[in-house]
Amino acid sequence: MIQTIRVTSKYADEDLRGKGILSELSGTAITSVRTVRVYRLEGITASAAERLAKKLLCEEINQDYALNKHVINGGQKIEIAYKPGVMNPEVASIIKAAKDLGVNLVAADASWEYYFYSRSKEEDVSNLSKKLNLLNHTVEYIVDKDPSTLVIKPSKGHTAVISLRKMSDETLMSLSRDKLFLNLEEMKIIQKYFKQLRRDPTDCELETLAQTWSEHCAHKTFKADLVVDGKKKLPLIKRLQNEALKHDKNIVSAFVDNSGVLEFYDGLSICGKVETHNSPSAIEPYGGAMTGSGGVFRDVLGTGLGGKTVASTDMFCFAPVNLPSSELPTGCLPPEYLLKRVVTGVRDYGNRMGIPTNNGSIHFHPDFRAKPTIIVGAYGTLPTKKAKKRKAKVGQVVVAVGGKTGRDGIHGATFSSGEMSHRTISVNSSAVQIGNAIEEKRMFDALIEARDRNLITTIQDCGAGGFSSAIGEMGEETGVNVDLSKAPLKYQGLSPWEIWISESQERMVVAVEKSKLKKFVALCNRHNVESAVLGKFDGSKKLRVYYGKDLVCNLDMNFLHHGLPQRKMMAKKNENSSTLPKQSPNSPVNLRSQKDWIKIVQNVLSHGNVCSKEPIVRQYDHTVQGTSVIPPYAGLSLQGPMDAAVIRPMLNKQYGMIIAHGLNPVLNNYDAYWGSIWASVEALANYVCVGGDYRQAALINNYIWPFPDEDALWTLDRSVDAVVDVMKAFNIPVISGKDSLSSTYRGPDGEVIKIPPVLCMSVFGKIPDVSRTVTADFKQEGSVVYLVGKQDLEAMEGSIYSEISRAKFPENRVPQMDLKLVKQVFSVVYSGISKNRILACHDVSEGGLIASLFEMCIGGNLGIRIKLTQRDQLMYALFNETAGCFIVEVESRKIGEKLFSKIPHRLLGEITTEQIISVMQDKKEVFSADISVLKKSWQKPFEDLFGSVG
Amino acid sequence: MKTKARILILKTDGINCDEELEFAFRLAGGNPEYVHVNDLRNNPKKILDYKIIALPGGFSYGDDIASGKILATEMTSFFSETIKKFIDRKDTLTIGICNGFQVLVRTGLLPFARIGQMDVTLANNYSGHLECRWVNLQIEDRNNSPFLRDMGGQKVSYQVAHGEGRFFTQEKILDIIEDENLVGLRYINGTGKATMSYPANPNGSLNAIAGITDSSGRIFGLMPHPERFVLREQYPNWRRLSIEDPHGLQIFKNAVKFVNKA
Repeated sequence: MIQTIRVTSKYADEDLRGKGILSELSGTAITSVRTVRVYRLEGITASAAERLAKKLLCEEINQDYALNKHVINGGQKIEIAYKPGVMNPEVASIIKAAKDLGVNLVAADASWEYYFYSRSKEEDVSNLSKKLNLLNHTVEYIVDKDPSTLVIKPSKGHTAVISLRKMSDETLMSLSRDKLFLNLEEMKIIQKYFKQLRRDPTDCELETLAQTWSEHCAHKTFKADLVVDGKKKLPLIKRLQNEALKHDKNIVSAFVDNSGVLEFYDGLSICGKVETHNSPSAIEPYGGAMTGSGGVFRDVLGTGLGGKTVASTDMFCFAPVNLPSSELPTGCLPPEYLLKRVVTGVRDYGNRMGIPTNNGSIHFHPDFRAKPTIIVGAYGTLPTKKAKKRKAKVGQVVVAVGGKTGRDGIHGATFSSGEMSHRTISVNSSAVQIGNAIEEKRMFDALIEARDRNLITTIQDCGAGGFSSAIGEMGEETGVNVDLSKAPLKYQGLSPWEIWISESQERMVVAVEKSKLKKFVALCNRHNVESAVLGKFDGSKKLRVYYGKDLVCNLDMNFLHHGLPQRKMMAKKNENSSTLPKQSPNSPVNLRSQKDWIKIVQNVLSHGNVCSKEPIVRQYDHTVQGTSVIPPYAGLSLQGPMDAAVIRPMLNKQYGMIIAHGLNPVLNNYDAYWGSIWASVEALANYVCVGGDYRQAALINNYIWPFPDEDALWTLDRSVDAVVDVMKAFNIPVISGKDSLSSTYRGPDGEVIKIPPVLCMSVFGKIPDVSRTVTADFKQEGSVVYLVGKQDLEAMEGSIYSEISRAKFPENRVPQMDLKLVKQVFSVVYSGISKNRILACHDVSEGGLIASLFEMCIGGNLGIRIKLTQRDQLMYALFNETAGCFIVEVESRKIGEKLFSKIPHRLLGEITTEQIISVMQDKKEVFSADISVLKKSWQKPFEDLFGSVG
Repeated sequence: MKTKARILILKTDGINCDEELEFAFRLAGGNPEYVHVNDLRNNPKKILDYKIIALPGGFSYGDDIASGKILATEMTSFFSETIKKFIDRKDTLTIGICNGFQVLVRTGLLPFARIGQMDVTLANNYSGHLECRWVNLQIEDRNNSPFLRDMGGQKVSYQVAHGEGRFFTQEKILDIIEDENLVGLRYINGTGKATMSYPANPNGSLNAIAGITDSSGRIFGLMPHPERFVLREQYPNWRRLSIEDPHGLQIFKNAVKFVNKA
């Protein structure tokens, strides 16, 4: 029998969830929305339920409850719950607390009821719920009948043998489609392997191969032999690694572990990893973003013998939120919904973990309508002595740690390697799940303690491919045997192959010496973390997976890890592909009046790529751990955006670390080489802006590219060449990275959308003294302001201004930078900051000079008068977006002229207490804009979406 | 030499501001130790080895059901007797910050030190979401808590980072809290006045209450994070405002001084 307790706010006015929903229903007949928390408790009496209601579930100061009846009446009701089998993170807490109160539950669930009160009777609730996107069909359902039990009945799990040997090419491919995502050549190699073994494979074996050989895990394109425009070229990954290892002075490990590791101070190292989570986020953005964060945090924990995550970053690209619904491709979710749910997911996971969200950006372009780009980064610290990955040794045991295994996340690795289509949501829904940050947090606490007590010998996270990837990799050299019947399950009835490849979150695998097992298990128990011995590394050089006594997988490690043939791939420049904007070009707008100028500046500042993201940042706890030295928004007003995060991971030390990134969502569409140079220079400029020494920095490169056909591969090749050139020019390495080559959408009627190719360049490194840094906000009246660096003025393609004005410029190209010169500029700016000569520094980026000046004014509650000359073309001077240029505040001209004597520089003007931006051309005032007016335009877009920041 | 009084930093699933709290006490000259709630469940008397119980911020047990609720339930179920003994000793202190404050009100330790009896709540912020921002506060000069010694009337900046921090109670109880001077600090606006307007009052707390004590002053709970401002550079505007003492440190120094003297 299920006891149902409903809890609601005593005061309608305090039903904030209901009020939030009502605010999205303006223009309908709905006058009020109430929400009710529903707890279903199985296996207890009504009087025990009453006790739980009073002691645990309801707080009578401001809440009411009802047992087995409704707590509020009237209205039209809709109840939404997680589908059976989708883990509801709250349930474990309910069961635990009930037990602490002496009540033992058999099962429990918690869901939401929504009551809509309407002026007219016609308002249809199911339509409203659709409009509000209250329900995500992937993980939730509408409860129209009270469930009779919450216990999930086991469906029988079994192992099937697939008659692969006699399959035709056609049947092989239909087996692969939507499930294994391998190509015919790969399917035939597997077929041949089993022909030699004279048996057919089990489902478990096929799934294991598909996971290990997936693009997501095996990076087949990056490892492929390339022929570009008829010429042979080294594989992409080889080019990156070869160059990177020439600049290895700070490298502890690169390309070999879950994150890249750099030498820090005092025997410590820092590590960084950046991941994408586009595919899951496209179909279930809340869960997708959560598991993206959870996964990249585990990458840090899975580095060496375990890193402690100390910082995180988020970079997103969406279609503009006002995209007309008619332009939304079939099977895709609207951008506003995606944006809001992704932010909520990142917020709920990061905040619960206590990992600050230090740095990020959000970009918009219509071509992201088919699939968003969701990038999450994590950075950690670990002792250098324990920073290198070790191999498991024969005799050590395999221990699974953390969350239980369920059916969730099955086929995540293969699914994210495939293209998005209108069928994606229905076919691959099991690939998404809801994260449980607390499960991960306690596991982190336990494993860092285990590392420090020398209880583990190696560690691997269960990410894509689950146990299959983690254990398969750890045992690559020794061989391993595991018994899946020992794995803790969320519910019974999983087939062995499902347990083996499930991507249930919050799990790690460690190798433990037998003599230390007892201590390790006790430590886990103390932290409320489950651990289970699954098997041992056995020296067989085989992967043998059992379920009880049944052998369900028996593969040679050599075939599993080295049987995949190197691909040969062709890249060819698509001469027909237009690099011009789609709109019909106008000639550059002839701006004359002050009003025209102020209007265009307002349009630039309110563009999604430029506008204030503060309403989001305020929802992320970006200062937890007490480590933040430069937060995302600072300055006197605390509303001025900063260029990079500076954190002090060891509170009792003066040294710290800098984290920044660069990303442009459109430039690669025009020119993948210069677009990628731009992203890299932008990342480094952000790093230098706050006082970073670029020579101490390392890069992390993430390629989010359309499916690698000849055309896309050609641009990818250009992008990689650009990154290699950046390493060469600055003598710094890339030490980690990831590729996600599935940004292509195929619609039902043959429509193909290629999402813009994105290179996200992240950069991190060390700084000896965090107080030798500078923020971007203008500091004082009377200071002078310089522009330093060389702008490629005529190159306006891909700029915000060109998008807004739809102008066609004489030079049809994106900005190009002389990297040698940029390097000199970096050195001068760095040295000026470290000698305390520079009071404020901000780089020129999206929106151009005017956007940067505005942001510096906002931070300091100050204004600026700048003087240009008749020779300046105003549109170029104000809106050009060449990376690697800085706006710098110094106390006097004398200091400025001395500091910048060897690099291109120009005096822009003087800081004023009057809060205006005034632009003079010689003696004529072009415009003078009130900063408070500009500020409104700059803040409005995200305040409309996420609420006021006050 | 007298050994320094021991400070218990409570840990459990989801607590995540423990390290900065430990650091703050250490910087203040204290002797903090992490203790997992499971160690106490095996041996509740261990609590009595300490002079300060400090409940850090975070999301204990995910803040499921309500913030701090599961941990409060665990504490009242297993440690009621021991905690009663602990707070009855006049030489002990108890502090809860953010999630720790939420736990203290849900155990009933605040405001009236009545374990198992909840008199006030910290409800959802009126903004409907977590607020991470710097706020200005004024320390009440009529509160005699040892935590706030010599701080009465001071204006300080701390960070808040919470989604459920709206101080709420029935009028009757609020009157008692005000009459007995149990308010420790309030959110103030630019002119230094207690305020109900957002975002200076980040959550809509009644009477702008950011923290309260019990009548002895030895139990203190607050939503803002003094432990995140014990170093100069933790405050983004240290470059332009001269900061002699990081605003949060005094609270920890006061606490350490109190228990080391007692």
